[in-house]
Amino acid sequence: MEPIGHEGLGRLLKLEDNLQTPHVVFSHSDLEESKDLESGGTITIGKKFNLPPSPLGLDSEKSPYLQLSENIAVIDNAYSIQPKKLVEIAKEFRLEAGYSRLIYAPAVEPSQMPILAYLGVDIFDDLNVELRSSTGWVLESGEWIKQNKQIEDLFSHNREELNRWISRIRNAISNGKLRELVELTSLHNPRVSQILYYSTSLLIEKGARVHSKIRSNDLSLNHPAILDFQDRLSNYEPPAKGMVLLILPCSARKPYFKSSSHKRFFNALREVDNYLALHVVSVTSPLGLVPRELEFCYPAAHYDIAVTGQWNASEIEMLRSQLAKLNLKQNYTKAIVHAGSSSKIMTNLIKELGIDVVDTRVEKPSSYEGLEILQNIARMSLSDVPLLNTKDRAKGEATGLAKFQYGDNSNFLVKSEISGRMPYKLRCGDLAAMSPVVGGFGLTLKGGIEYSSQGGPTIIAETFKLIGDLFAVGVKSYEGSWNIGDQVVIKQNGTVTGVGIAKMMPEEMIAMKRGIAVEVRHHA
Amino acid sequence: MPEAFVPLTDFVNKSKSIPRDHPLDKPVAKWIEEEILDGEVVEAGVVILRTRGCYWSIKEGCSMCGYFNDTVPGGVSDDMLREQWRKVRPILKGKKYAKIYTSGSFIDPTEVPFDFADEVMSDMSDMGIEKVLIESLPEFVTPKNFAYTNSPKLEIAIGLESSSPVVLDKSVNKRLRWPHFVKVCKLARDNGAEVKAYILLKPPYLSEKEGIEDAVQSAIDAAPHVDKISINPVNVQKNTVVEKLWFRNEWTAPWLWSVVEVLQKCEDLPVRVYSDPTGGGTRRGAHNCHDCNKKVLEALKNHRLGLGELKGLHCNCKSRWKALVNQSKLRRNGSEPHGYRSGFTGGRHF
Ligand SMILES: [Zn+2]
Repeated sequence: MEPIGHEGLGRLLKLEDNLQTPHVVFSHSDLEESKDLESGGTITIGKKFNLPPSPLGLDSEKSPYLQLSENIAVIDNAYSIQPKKLVEIAKEFRLEAGYSRLIYAPAVEPSQMPILAYLGVDIFDDLNVELRSSTGWVLESGEWIKQNKQIEDLFSHNREELNRWISRIRNAISNGKLRELVELTSLHNPRVSQILYYSTSLLIEKGARVHSKIRSNDLSLNHPAILDFQDRLSNYEPPAKGMVLLILPCSARKPYFKSSSHKRFFNALREVDNYLALHVVSVTSPLGLVPRELEFCYPAAHYDIAVTGQWNASEIEMLRSQLAKLNLKQNYTKAIVHAGSSSKIMTNLIKELGIDVVDTRVEKPSSYEGLEILQNIARMSLSDVPLLNTKDRAKGEATGLAKFQYGDNSNFLVKSEISGRMPYKLRCGDLAAMSPVVGGFGLTLKGGIEYSSQGGPTIIAETFKLIGDLFAVGVKSYEGSWNIGDQVVIKQNGTVTGVGIAKMMPEEMIAMKRGIAVEVRHHA
Repeated sequence: MPEAFVPLTDFVNKSKSIPRDHPLDKPVAKWIEEEILDGEVVEAGVVILRTRGCYWSIKEGCSMCGYFNDTVPGGVSDDMLREQWRKVRPILKGKKYAKIYTSGSFIDPTEVPFDFADEVMSDMSDMGIEKVLIESLPEFVTPKNFAYTNSPKLEIAIGLESSSPVVLDKSVNKRLRWPHFVKVCKLARDNGAEVKAYILLKPPYLSEKEGIEDAVQSAIDAAPHVDKISINPVNVQKNTVVEKLWFRNEWTAPWLWSVVEVLQKCEDLPVRVYSDPTGGGTRRGAHNCHDCNKKVLEALKNHRLGLGELKGLHCNCKSRWKALVNQSKLRRNGSEPHGYRSGFTGGRHF
């Protein structure tokens, strides 16, 4: 088996015989009954495998939760386990099953397959589809409908539709859109939406960080990437103390600084003396607040939302908590709000935190009139603020970004010689440089050496000349931990020979014999 | 005694709860029902006395049995037992057949004191009752436990449940062993009693098909050693493993079609095999769809009383039952989707 895609805890695996997971087995051809109560029958997924015995006499709420045979791990009752418990169990999936067993969930409803795939289930079957077919229901995009028209051999018809549904799940993983499919199926399915709700922290903790675009809706407030971003803002510091906070509206184009509206803001502001002491933070749903230095960071540059200008109660609460993370009173002397329809709410929220704030009260922030007002207010606000030079500003920006990205391990970057300026030229000595692909500071090989020595995630590879990407077969062991999408360091024979982006989970690299483990960005 | 299957034992204990307070001077229940005696349909008086309950359920218990809910853990004094007896006598008067249940073993002298048992047996004999049915675990079936001074013909019902050791260990949690069962059947019959065996249909964890197969095989195994066999479709009793699995939708009560199927497969056995499903037609008992529950239960009753056959029953849900049975082993438990028996139509139907 070869992992070729990940999303959440789900994986798109290439199996032998051109099969891919998530995969559906058809009971009439692929499943064989057990001979007696204590054996498990067989399942055919290309090849025939033994199934583990059914969980006779066991309490499904007690671990171990999976029944194991050599190649298959069965999660019995996945269709009915309480949503919260199911997520708890999903947390243990790989600890119990490892990465080389396929996880099979028997008798699951089609509508639950996307969320279960998102949590790591590889194999489904058509048992419930057969029962529904025997009562005259027609499967359509994962849902059951009653149709007046008679369909000859409804079971075959529904099996084909089930095949299409599973292939839609696979495509979703390969396009980084499984989350969207899960959200879609959760809309009118309380069970799926509960499972999704309880999954959030597990997905943040262990889910693949795939840089696919988030097309937001109300459910996206719980998207793991969004919550993770919001959470990390606590680690962030503005470039310098005593700056003037400037709240701007977000833009459809990402990163914002590349949009025409933000270019207009910048051109108007740089005519103001000491404009470097202005700190631009954009207000947006569902992310909340995005400081300028973090605009490259996932998912700030990767989401779409229908902008309505209306903030609902939970969004306002979210903005309030994001503002609190910026420590306004300690970090800024005052604030300017120039955010169009969001200005009023932002002004009120900032007032609550006890610093002076000016609302430009402009309806169209990037209009000529709006820009002129912004320029004037900025000029007044900056007149009594200490001067900030380019070098100090760059150093502060680099520190903020490094802390946001690397958390406690960021010291080696902060202490290096900072040069260049935002957005593209910012560098941390010869250790790291801005990279839109990485979404922030991408490590150089030297940076990798430092990172590894500070306890950064490190993969020990077999001894061979590393050219191109590192494949799973070449991975010997690892130190530290990471999620898919994180930067990792490759060591061979005690020396660092590469840095890149992890494409598999730690244990998965060990278990897999095929597939890319690390997409290498720099070689020795 | 065979060893425990620890996870199931734990699960049984976790599912139990302490019975609520019951009045000690009143029996659990009493009623009249039709039975067969010597080939004739007669009225039988049925009584459930409230006692300390089954010794096994105090220790561990069986996964499907909730009768401990009706018991008094501290025990019931002889005086109170006599008071209960006084209250049930009217219902037994004039009957030829009596069924005296406790929520345990009538011939366990620590549950029903021998002197009291001897008294009521004499009393029934004096009333003209010809046959009395009592229940017991096999371990209490020794001649001295039922050597009454004077009694009607004794019929001892023993819960065999299954002749499969795997089912007994990992589904039922009952430490009964086949050779012991055969031995006590002989002992009872040699000492003038008849033996009735209870066999479960679809104990927990088993699929519909496994349930049918196990019941049929157990009946075939038991037939030479007993006088009649009652097929007991497992029903959902309070505070049991079965109830937990049922709440979690990991097991559902068997179909009435399965009961019919088992009885038909046992037609040629040398003993009477019949079924009177507890809670039949409800969600907690054996049931089909709401269109045919009554019809099939009526047919089962007639079959039990020798008044009719089980052939020719039909309903739209029978093909659904067939589809489920065929795939049920692959489902790896006793479940089926909610609403399946009625074709997923209507709200609260089942
Ligand atoms: Zn029916």
